[in-house]
Amino acid sequence: MNKPRSIKQNAYPDAVPDFRNLGVALRILLLSNAFALFKAVIDGSNWGEVLAHLIESASLLTPVLLTSMLLLWVMQPQLKRLNYVQASVAISLVVMLLTLAIFNFSGDLFEPVDDDDRRFDAMQYALLAILVSQMLLFYFRWRAQVLSQALHDARLQVLRARIRPHFLFNTLNAVLSIVRTQPKLAETALEDMADLFRMAMSEAKDLVPLRQEIKLSEQYLALEKLRMGERLQPVWQIDEAAMDAWIPPLLLQPLLENAVYHGVETLRSGGQIIIALRRIGKQLNLTIVNPCQPTDVSPHLGNKLALKNIRERLELLFDVEASYQVYAARDSYKIAITLPYLHKGEL
Amino acid sequence: MSTIELALRVFIVDDEQPARNRLRELLEDCNNQLALDIVGEAGSPQEALDKLAETPADVVLMDIRMPEMNGLELARHLQKLDKPPVIIFTTAYDEYALQAFELHAIDYLLKPIRLGRLFDALNRARSAVPIQTAVLQELLPEARKQLSIHERGKIHLVPIEQILFLRAELKYITVRTAQREYLIEESLTALEQEFAAQMVRIHRNCLVAKSAIVGFEKSSDESASNWMVKLRGVDEALPLSRRQNVLVKEFGKN
Repeated sequence: MNKPRSIKQNAYPDAVPDFRNLGVALRILLLSNAFALFKAVIDGSNWGEVLAHLIESASLLTPVLLTSMLLLWVMQPQLKRLNYVQASVAISLVVMLLTLAIFNFSGDLFEPVDDDDRRFDAMQYALLAILVSQMLLFYFRWRAQVLSQALHDARLQVLRARIRPHFLFNTLNAVLSIVRTQPKLAETALEDMADLFRMAMSEAKDLVPLRQEIKLSEQYLALEKLRMGERLQPVWQIDEAAMDAWIPPLLLQPLLENAVYHGVETLRSGGQIIIALRRIGKQLNLTIVNPCQPTDVSPHLGNKLALKNIRERLELLFDVEASYQVYAARDSYKIAITLPYLHKGEL
Repeated sequence: MSTIELALRVFIVDDEQPARNRLRELLEDCNNQLALDIVGEAGSPQEALDKLAETPADVVLMDIRMPEMNGLELARHLQKLDKPPVIIFTTAYDEYALQAFELHAIDYLLKPIRLGRLFDALNRARSAVPIQTAVLQELLPEARKQLSIHERGKIHLVPIEQILFLRAELKYITVRTAQREYLIEESLTALEQEFAAQMVRIHRNCLVAKSAIVGFEKSSDESASNWMVKLRGVDEALPLSRRQNVLVKEFGKN
C-alpha cells in the first residue's frame, strides 16, 4: 500500500503556503494591495493625499511583492523542509531584506530629506514588511485550518457517498445469483468488492497513484457488468504519458458510478461509457461521457451530491488550479476535469 | 372442492438477468413446501405485458427500478388485465417509500431476497387482493411515460410523446397518434392534470400535445367564427374553445 501523502498547504495546517500555487499567489497580491489601500486611507487627510500615498507605496510594494514571490517560488523546496516557525522567520527575513534592498536601490525616488529620516524610513518599511508578511502567513495558516476541517468533512462525505446502498445490495444479489452455478466467478466478485470497500473505508489520503485508481475502477465496472452484462460497455482511452500521475483517491470511481446509475442503467440496451485520460503539459485532463435517458430532465439528487463532493475536494486540494465542467446534452452527459499533473518526484 | 391445492402461478419481472436467475433459484427452493409454477419471466415492461396476456399469473414478482418504465407504472398497466395478478415488489434499497407500501398492505421484498421472506410473501399472496389503481397513482406521483390500451385481450403501451391529441367521446377517450386511434377509459380531467407538462386543453372535450400544434386558422363556419387548431400529422382541424383563445396569442409569441 502507498503511504498517505499530503501535497498542498491545506493538507498540513502547520505548513507555510505553497508559493507555487496560483491561488496562493493571487491571494498574496490581492491582500497586500488591499493592505496598502487601507494604510493609505488611514494616513491621508483627503482623497488626493490618499492617492499620493497609494502611488508612493505601490512604487515600493509592487517590486517588493514581485521579487519576494519570485524568490519564494524558487525557495519552495527548501521551505518545505523547515518547520513552521523556521519557515515563517525565513519568509519574513527574505521579504524584509528585499524591502530594504529595493528601498536603498531606488534611492531618490522616495523624497530624500536627510540621512536620519531616511534611515528611520527604512526601519519603518522593514517593520511593515515583517508585519505584512506575518499577517499573510497568519491568514494562510488560519485558512488552512478552516479548510482542513472542511476537507475532513468532505472525506467523511466521500465515505458515505461511496457506499451507495443501491450498488451494495444489487451487487450482493447478483453475486448470490451465481454462487451455485459459477462459484469461481462469485469468488472473484467478492474479492473485487472487498477491495472496493477497503479503499472506500481506508484512512483518507490526499493522493494515490492513477494506476491504483484505474484498477479500482475496473474492479467496480466488473462488478456492475456482473449485473448488467453486455448493456455496460466501458471504453478506456488512456494516454500512456498520464499513467504515472497521482490523483485524489476515489475521483474516478464515483464518477463512473454516476455514469452507470444515472446513465447506462436507465437505458434498456445500455451503452458505452467513454473514459479518457490525457496529459497536456503540466495538466491532467479527465473526461467521462455516458449516454442517458433523453426524457430524464431532472437529474437525481444523489447525482448532485456526489458531484458536489468531488468539486469541493478538487477546490480544497488544488484551489484555482483544478477545473470541473459538466456538459448535459439531451441524451448524453459529459464531465471534464482538469487538474495539475503531479508525479511521484513532485510529492 | 378439490383437496389438491392449485399451483401458484408466478411470473418474474426484472431487467437484470442475474436477479431473475436468483429469484428462480429461490422459487425452486420454495417448491418443496409450496406448490409453485414459474410461468415465465420478462426483462422489460412490454415483454411482461405481452407474456402475461398470453399466460396469466397469480403473482408477479417485480423490480421497481427498471429502464424505460418504473415498476409502479408497470403495475398500474397490469391492472388492465382481465384478472390482475397480485404484485410483490422487489427493491435493492429505499428507492421508494417502503412505509407507504406497508400502509397500503403492498408486499415488497428487499434484495438480496431471503428464502423465508419470499416464502411468507407467496403464502400471503394467495389471499391478497390486487392493488388499487388509485393507490399506485398515489405512490407514483410523476406522470406515466406511456398509456396502456386494452385491446382484444392484449395490452399495448403508447408512449406519451407519440400522442397528438386526446378527445373525450361518450364514455371513452380517443387517443390519437400519427398512425392510428385507440380507446381508453380514463377521465380527461385526471389526464389533463397528469400530463400538464406535455398537453394543453383546447376544448371542453379535448387535450392536444403542445409540441404537435403547428398553427391556428379561422373557422370557416360562419356561426362559430372562432379559431381551429392545426396539428402536425392530422388532417382535421380541432375547434378551439373561446375560453382558450389566449393560446393563439401565446403561440404567436413563440
